Amino acid sequence: MTVRTLLGAATLLCVLAAPVAAEVDLSGEYRSIRHEDVPDRGPGVGYGDYSGIPLTDAARQYAESWDAAQLSMPQQQCRVHTVTYNMRGPLNLRVWEEKDPRTQEVISIKLYISTYEQTRTVWMDGRAHPPAYAPHTWMGFSTGRWAGDRLIVETSHIKQGWHRRNGVPQSDHTTLTEHFVKHGNQFTHIAVIRDPVYLTEPMVKTQHFELIPRALPKGAWLWPCTVVEEVARDANDVPHYLPGKNQYLASTRVEVNMNVPGAGGGAATIYPEFAANTTEPATPSNRPDASAIAHRAVQQAPRHPPVSATDPIAIFPIRSNIYMLVGGGANTTVQVGDDGVVVVDPKLEGASKNLLAAIATLSTKPIRYVIDTHVHPDAMGGNEAIAAAGSTRTGGVVLRQIGTEVAETAAIIAHENVLSRVAAPTGKTAPTPQRAWPSDTFYGARREFTVNGEGLELRHLPAAHTDGDTIAFFHRSDVIAVGDIFSTESYPVIDLARGGSLQGLLAALDTVIELAIPDVDHEGGTMIVPGHGYLSDEFDVAEYRDMVTIVRDRVQDMLKRGLTRAQIQTARPTFDWDARYGTESGEWTTAMFVDAVITSLQGGAR
Amino acid sequence: MKRSAPLFACLLLTGAALGQTPGSARQAPTARSSAPVDLTGYWVSVVTEDWAWRMRTPPKGDYASIPLNAAGEHAADTWTEAEDGSCLAFGAPAMLRMPTRARITWVDDQTLKLETDNGVQTRLLHFGPSPANSSGAPSLQGGSHATWQIPNQVTDRGENTGQKSDDAWAPLKVVTTNLSPAWLRPNGVPYSANAVLTEYFDRFADGDDAWFVVTTIVDDPAYLTEPLVISSNFKREANGAKWAPKPCKG
Repeated sequence: MTVRTLLGAATLLCVLAAPVAAEVDLSGEYRSIRHEDVPDRGPGVGYGDYSGIPLTDAARQYAESWDAAQLSMPQQQCRVHTVTYNMRGPLNLRVWEEKDPRTQEVISIKLYISTYEQTRTVWMDGRAHPPAYAPHTWMGFSTGRWAGDRLIVETSHIKQGWHRRNGVPQSDHTTLTEHFVKHGNQFTHIAVIRDPVYLTEPMVKTQHFELIPRALPKGAWLWPCTVVEEVARDANDVPHYLPGKNQYLASTRVEVNMNVPGAGGGAATIYPEFAANTTEPATPSNRPDASAIAHRAVQQAPRHPPVSATDPIAIFPIRSNIYMLVGGGANTTVQVGDDGVVVVDPKLEGASKNLLAAIATLSTKPIRYVIDTHVHPDAMGGNEAIAAAGSTRTGGVVLRQIGTEVAETAAIIAHENVLSRVAAPTGKTAPTPQRAWPSDTFYGARREFTVNGEGLELRHLPAAHTDGDTIAFFHRSDVIAVGDIFSTESYPVIDLARGGSLQGLLAALDTVIELAIPDVDHEGGTMIVPGHGYLSDEFDVAEYRDMVTIVRDRVQDMLKRGLTRAQIQTARPTFDWDARYGTESGEWTTAMFVDAVITSLQGGAR
Repeated sequence: MKRSAPLFACLLLTGAALGQTPGSARQAPTARSSAPVDLTGYWVSVVTEDWAWRMRTPPKGDYASIPLNAAGEHAADTWTEAEDGSCLAFGAPAMLRMPTRARITWVDDQTLKLETDNGVQTRLLHFGPSPANSSGAPSLQGGSHATWQIPNQVTDRGENTGQKSDDAWAPLKVVTTNLSPAWLRPNGVPYSANAVLTEYFDRFADGDDAWFVVTTIVDDPAYLTEPLVISSNFKREANGAKWAPKPCKG
């Protein structure tokens, strides 16, 4: 082989695999190039077109029940497209880097999305994702890393949203992996969306962005939204269609030339084999509609480990002097300050040692108040030990008439109905020892006082989860501890035996929604501590309220049509949410929830 | 950094290596052996976008989302349903947009072969100098010139180890010219003989699945008001068990 040949081969090699310049800084202002999915990404598609989405049967039923009039509800008007969808809008995108001025290390990459004025932070400093009980947001929590010149971003903690704006739901269990791949002055954005609740397999979507050569006017970057009263309706009026009753599904498909097999979506429709079917006219048998599916796949939510008193207790700061303590029972809200410590729901009895240790890391002041949101032992089991570790600031006539004992423990505050449930008439044996009983009860709808410099409002919500429910609203901190009327982990427990009811539960959720004021874009603002699950906001409670309302309406309709209790259970009125909240075993099954709904609607206990 | 600098450095390094180890040129990396990612195998298109325009032939005149100019619309409006299934829907700019399986193999050390079962088309992606079919008579698949877009070995953004892995990043860039006029959509949405097709094949892993996304840029001032930019997603399959050739018409 001659030298010329060798050099020729070397030149060839260098041409074959030429290094490209290291233009990997994504910073700049981009426009979205929208040559794909334009109806979906622009004006939106009509009812019934779920083509291209590997959705579950439950997602299909959810979508077919969805009524666009929901968007007129106050909690829905300014809802933001979540991160899985918002990158697909008609957006302008600004990307920049935040660097540590001392080291010039990139701390984060920021993305400002003009649609809904959203700012994403992609942490590049190696930090971990937050724990499961951290709040979920429209944009989620993102971390990034470079693989060569490709930016890979992992996002979790995403609020509930939609995979398509015609009602196809995206659950709050969704996670997202993105690949930002720059090609010259454009980049391809590859999104891999995993939704274990509403997708049967990961959904891959791609978007394209191009650097903007000239600055855009300010208006091109703005998307303000203000909630107004669009339609006067009752709080529990959630627009939706009963299963099989959306008369617009078929007509809309015809109007937009989508009355075809495959319009109902599903994984089977997105592979080449299905293309052969698309020449056939659509029929109920070849187009998957929720109402036409005889044997729907029933899913269950991932099981949460049973609550244990020995669980470690984690502290999650909410606002300056208020915390959510997770583990060992129900979520506990702790407020600290100069007056001392307030503990809402002191967990299981056996968790008291761990709880006190956790509280000790937050304040050296005495525990002054223990507040029970309701009667169940996972919430109030620690009453005795936690109160005994505290003290009551008192004196004068109280000490003279009641004795010094009263000062030796913290006050235990609850609604009178809680005391009625745990105490017993004289001569009878009480289910709990007297020292664990509420020592300071109230009868009316509200009680309020100031502690640690902020107003604390206790509201009794009658006949909801139980008959003794109280929510604790810390006004300055703008935090409400709501106990078990709201959970992000399960269908609401309606304890009929202890005075709970569906109607009271819905009224209680409405009260929380009424009290809460969200921040801009209907996110954050008043923070809600659920009995179980992650720290939430008004939108999360509203979605939950809407779910319960729709289940109520379905069951009510079935009762009107004369269905028996067994027939209602078989019809699975909760089908759309079973993969999110349902379980067929454990302390509170889907069947038990449906049973409680039926009983409530029939007017009382079984 | 300009492109000439790394090219010069590459030549220097290669030359030095040649000088140090006589005879090693026989083992010099080729496009095949230096491939930073492995695109060979069977792949299936997963149609999660533009489903209504890809999984069936759209109606005449449905060119929504394609930046057609007036001439393009006029040409598209001449299409008739009798032409449905024509091979004109399987030109290089469109064949990977169809619901299809793709088979990618090395023909030789500098040529990748890309076949589809839907339409039974074959493209040859040539590394190195311009391919022979980039001149002469235009064809449905034109002439394709391929390069690996290998980032600098060490950049501000992190290290590229040069090892093949699902996490490695190095797109395959393919520029295709010398195309005969055909369609961007099965309903006759046109591209002209002057269209230039640029594609980037980006492979990535997701769990146990391997994917590639091909970003397709069609520059055709004759019929488009701006370059058409779309991308299609392919998932790797274990074998060719589902390979089902379906010839096009004509």
